[in-house]
Formats: sequence, C-alpha cells, structure tokens
Amino acid sequence: MRLRRATAASVAVTVVVAAVIALLPLTLSNYHRATGASVAVFFVAILALNIVTGYTGQISIGHGAFMAVGGYTTAILTHDHGWSDLPTLPAAAIVGFVAGVIVGLPALRFHGVYLALTTFAVALAVPQLAKNYPNFTGGTEGLALPTHSGLWLYEVGWAVAGVMFVIAWFLLRGRTGRAFRAVRDSEVAAASSGVTLAVYKTVAFGISAAMAGVAGSVYVLVNNFVNPDVFGLTLSLYILIGAVVGGLGSLWGVLVGAAFIQLLPIALTTSHISSSQSVPVIFGAVVIGVMALLPLGAANLLRVALHFGSQSRQSSDIHLGTEGR
Amino acid sequence: MTRRMKGALVLAVLAIVVAAGSAFAASTATPGVTKSTIKIGGTFPLTGPAALYSVIPKAENAYFQYVNARGGVNGRKINFKVYDDGYNPANTVPLAKKLVEQDKVFAVYGSLGTAPTLATRDYLNKAKVPQVLVATGDSYWGAQYKRYPWTIGFQPDYPGESRVYGEFIKSKVPQAKIGVLMQDDAYGQNYYNGLVQGLGAAKSKIVDVEKYDATQTDVSQQVVKLKAAGANVFALFALPTQTITALVVATKVGWHPVTFINNVSSSPTFMAIAQKSGADVTNDITATYVNDVWNNPDTASAKLYKTILAKYDKGADPLDANNVYGVASAWTFVKALSMAGKNPTRASLMNAFTHLNAKNPFLYPGVSLATTPTERFPIDQQILEQYKSGGWHPFGRIFSKAR
Repeated sequence: MRLRRATAASVAVTVVVAAVIALLPLTLSNYHRATGASVAVFFVAILALNIVTGYTGQISIGHGAFMAVGGYTTAILTHDHGWSDLPTLPAAAIVGFVAGVIVGLPALRFHGVYLALTTFAVALAVPQLAKNYPNFTGGTEGLALPTHSGLWLYEVGWAVAGVMFVIAWFLLRGRTGRAFRAVRDSEVAAASSGVTLAVYKTVAFGISAAMAGVAGSVYVLVNNFVNPDVFGLTLSLYILIGAVVGGLGSLWGVLVGAAFIQLLPIALTTSHISSSQSVPVIFGAVVIGVMALLPLGAANLLRVALHFGSQSRQSSDIHLGTEGR
Repeated sequence: MTRRMKGALVLAVLAIVVAAGSAFAASTATPGVTKSTIKIGGTFPLTGPAALYSVIPKAENAYFQYVNARGGVNGRKINFKVYDDGYNPANTVPLAKKLVEQDKVFAVYGSLGTAPTLATRDYLNKAKVPQVLVATGDSYWGAQYKRYPWTIGFQPDYPGESRVYGEFIKSKVPQAKIGVLMQDDAYGQNYYNGLVQGLGAAKSKIVDVEKYDATQTDVSQQVVKLKAAGANVFALFALPTQTITALVVATKVGWHPVTFINNVSSSPTFMAIAQKSGADVTNDITATYVNDVWNNPDTASAKLYKTILAKYDKGADPLDANNVYGVASAWTFVKALSMAGKNPTRASLMNAFTHLNAKNPFLYPGVSLATTPTERFPIDQQILEQYKSGGWHPFGRIFSKAR
C-alpha cells in the first residue's frame, strides 16, 4: 500500500517537473534555450554515471570518454557519411555500449580506487586517440557540424533526457536495480544471493556508457563542433562533481547536479572580468560547501524536506541511495 | 502526495529562477551599436593552462579606455566584454553564443586560441558576426576566407615564423640535430609544418619530436628525452608556462642547445621568469613583429604605450610583450572601426578589415599592416631577435612569409 502511494507520488512529481521543463522554453531566449539543452546533456551524463557509480558502486572518472565516443559517432556519421542528426543517437548508444562493456571488463577484477584509476586512464586516452587519427576524427582541428536553433536543441535535449530517465527508472526500480545495489553494498552477499557479478557489472557499465554516448551526441549537436579538447579530463570530473552534488544513488539529484555544473560556471564566468581569476576558487568553495552541508547531495535535502514532520519516521537509512525502496 | 507536490514546486521554482534573466530586446538596427556606444566582446584564457595571456584583454581594454577618454570612435565609446573560456573550446562555444545572442555584441574581437577559434568559427560565420583579430597565428584565418569571410586574424602566421627558424638552422647551424617540443594540437602542428618546410631537404636533421597535451604544464620528461636523443638544437613550439618549464629543465639537466622560442611565448617577462628560475636563456632566438619598446624607450610609441598602461591598466608590466600585442591589436580594431563609416555595420567593418593599409605605431618599425579582400593576413612581416644581456635584440632584416 505504502509502496504504491510512494510510486504514485513519484510519478506525480515527475509529471510536474516534466511539464515545467516542457513549458520553460516559452519564456526563454534562444541563447537560454541552448543553455537549457546543455543542462539536458549533463542530466543524461550524470544519470549515466549514477547507474554505474551511484547504484552499482563502481567508481568511474572516465565518463567524459564515453561522451567522446558518442559525440564522435554523431560527428563522423553526419560530417562524413551524410547521416542526418537524430538517427545517429541510437548509433552513439550502441557504440557507447560496446565501449562501456570493454571498459567494464577490468571492473570484474579491480575495485575501488584501482577501478577509478583505470577509468581515469580511459578518460586520458580517448581524446589522445582522436588526435592520432585525423583523417577519421578531424584531429585537433575538429569537425564542424550544422547549427540548430536553441528551441530545436532544447526539445531534442530534453526529449532524450526524458527517454533516458524513464529507461533508468524502469531499470533501477526492478530486479536489475536491486541486483546493482546488492553489488554495491556487498559483492559477497550479492554473489551468495545468486547475483552474477560479472554479468551485472558489465551490463551496468554498458548501459551507463550507452547513455553517456547519447549525452555526448547531443553535446556535439549543441556545440556544433567537436575536437579532442572538448572531451578533456575536466569534463569527466565535472560529471562526477555533478553526480556527487546531486546525490549519488538518486535519480532526483541528477537535475540539480546537471544545473549545478552547467549553470554555475557560466554564471560565475560571465559576471565580471575582475573576478574571473577567482571563478575556479568560488566553484571549488561551493562544491566543498555543498559536501560539508549536504554530504548525501541535494537529493537528500529534498528527501529530508519531504519526510520532515512525518509521523511514520523510519529507521534512518543513511546509506547511499534510498530511492525506490 | 502533497509533500511530494511541494517538492515538485521547489524544483519548478528552482528551474525558473535558474532560467530567469532572459532579454527580449530585438531591433532592426545593427546589433551592439547605439548613438553613443559600440559593444564588442571576446573570449580569453583568464585561467587555465594559457592564463599567462590573461594580460592581453586588459591591455586591449586599456587602449579602448584611452580612445574613449578622447571621445571614442565617431562619437561612440567602445564597451569591451571579456569572458574567460579557460582555453577550453567546450567553454568557448556557449560564451560566444552568449556574446552574440545575449550581450548582442557588434563583433567578436580578439578571442584567443586556435582551438577556441576553430570551435566558434562556424557558428559566428553562419550568424554573420565579425570574428576579427583573433589572437592566434594559425594560417587558417587568412587562408580560408572564402569559406569563412567573417573571420580574420592579426599576427603573422605560425608556419611563416617557424619556416624562418628552419631556414636559419639550415644555413647557420651545419651540424644541427634538432629536437622539437610541440603542443599536441593544431597550433603546435602549424608551427611544426613550417619548420619542416623551412628545413627542406635538411628535415632529416630532426632527431626527435616530443608532444605535450595543452592541459599538461609539466614537460620535464619530454625535455629529458630530447636531450637523450642527442639534439643540439631545441625548437620550442609551446605555450608560455610550458616554455618556461622547458627552458628551466633544459639548463638543470645540463643541456645547452641552440634554442628557438616561438613568438607567442617569448615575451621578455617570460624570459625573465625563466632566468630567475635558473634557466640559461642567453643567445636564444625568437621572432617578433611588435614594437620593441624596451629597446627604444624614448620613442613616441614607447612613451604613449607606457602612459596608456600606467593610466588604464594599473599594475601591468610594460616589459611584457603581450601588453604591446594587446595595445597594437586594439589600435588595429579602432582603426578599422573608424574606417567602417559613421554608421558602421557588420559588413562595413569586415570591408574595413579587408582594406587595411596603415602604420601601426605599436608594431615593429617597418612592419606594415595591410590587407586586401584576397590577402587577409594583416601582418606578414617579422624580424629575428636574440636574447642577450637581459633583453631581446633584433638582428638581420625584416622578413615576410613570401607565400
């Protein structure tokens, strides 16, 4: 009974948020629509990272690389092979999935910081690969793509984000999500309960990378340009920061995290020339502040607010991620 | 349920607040131009791996302030908006869009960096927004004008500069074994291509090429490798921070090659930093095209330059060639703007930029500033300099890229 009520409430919230996102462009300028589209890009990227890190407990500092894989898929197919934009998105998902499974294989053996370092290496290596095959990727000069209106980008970006959110929702609330969380909380316990670690870890990486690939695809469309520097290490770090600020293991925090990493730096940068030197400092200070005040991310703030005053206080479950119990 | 709804409201409000602030101004007049002002903007690495260039927009703004104090250009004061892209093209794209669509600038001026310029060139040209005097010397800007008519550079192109290093090595360093340190991107590649061209048949004298990533500032390993490869000539196609590191490391490991430093990193300020950190930079060679005000402090140009910095860019180091660069670039913009007519349009500005023929007092005496609609490299002359007794000293004749 309780579970069903919670689900209904979640659906209601989702509908309201979706409606706001759908109506928002009516009040936005072309520039802000394009900015909104890049928030959607990071929404999908953080969602992707959350599946593998937040829910399955496999730390990845390399999601920028999966975005690069998807982004280059779109860029190369449209630039060199005459594809139109949208059909490249599923292609980016497939290529991303394959890349994710390949990177996921070491996850079978590596844990914690060792796995993090492996993904870190991937984040460093992929832009380098793009530089080394200029005939294929345009090298450091990059590839320029057709421009789109801010509205088109906004609609495509958030439609993709919506689809990805629904996929993540169904994936994580059922059997697969349970298995992911079991792997995160204790691999030994998960294995002894019949969860095949190898399968679930690789699948988590594959699906996550497929989503990141789609995010990279849309990112390239929003920027209408791609070169290796676009997918540098900072991109991977920003995605991780977004996931942590939003709240690992929660789908709600994703929106907050995406807005945080996309809008705060732009807002700080464009404020005034004299303060420019301090932008990274301010950004860093805000991240530290959020971590100190909300160690479980913005999503937890929302959760605390929602449960505040509730007479049916449950035993406090402060483990990462309590969404979708 | 209702509590969930409250949560949704919170989110909705957040989303709206975040998106607030959109402008609705739309007019048929030329964007960025009013009766009394003209708004331009650019993106620069105020932070990040190329942050040593962050003085350039300040010097440019100083010159604009100087012009504004004298009544502006045709009665319009220049309002220069500067955004920090951290030398990352992924940041440049949204910032360029912001300049055009939010700030409604008349032109994008002076934006720095090869990759950032490449990233925004397509967008700005489709929007027909002038992308002028980009602070990068790659040959694309002057060479690809048919496809990108709204883009124009400023400084001599990189391949032209390094070609002269190549020719110099070929004729003056007979036993040369060349080691190259280059940034692993279009900028480094442009320089490298020129060097190879200049060397011609002598290109086999390149014994090792080491690359570094733009975000990487420690190049010690690469320098040690070049030394180990037996190089006695060191060609440095690197940004200032990496160049300074390389010069210091070379001396520390006991390597004393004939060193060529690309113009974009050879500001006397950077040389002084390298020297202070223990680098032996005596006899190093570079090329320049800006006025060497430090050698001729009594000329009118040098005095004006120092006055402008002292008044409008407090704390700026007059020894830094990047400041001369900024003032020279801003001078060029003001020149073109005044040529663009009483009521400038974006098209008339580009027309002015493709009909330049002027003596810029902040360029090296004898270096001309000239363009035609089919010859779009505003500066194509330079002179070699050698570092001696704490300063650069020009030698030889002014050369042009002779394309």
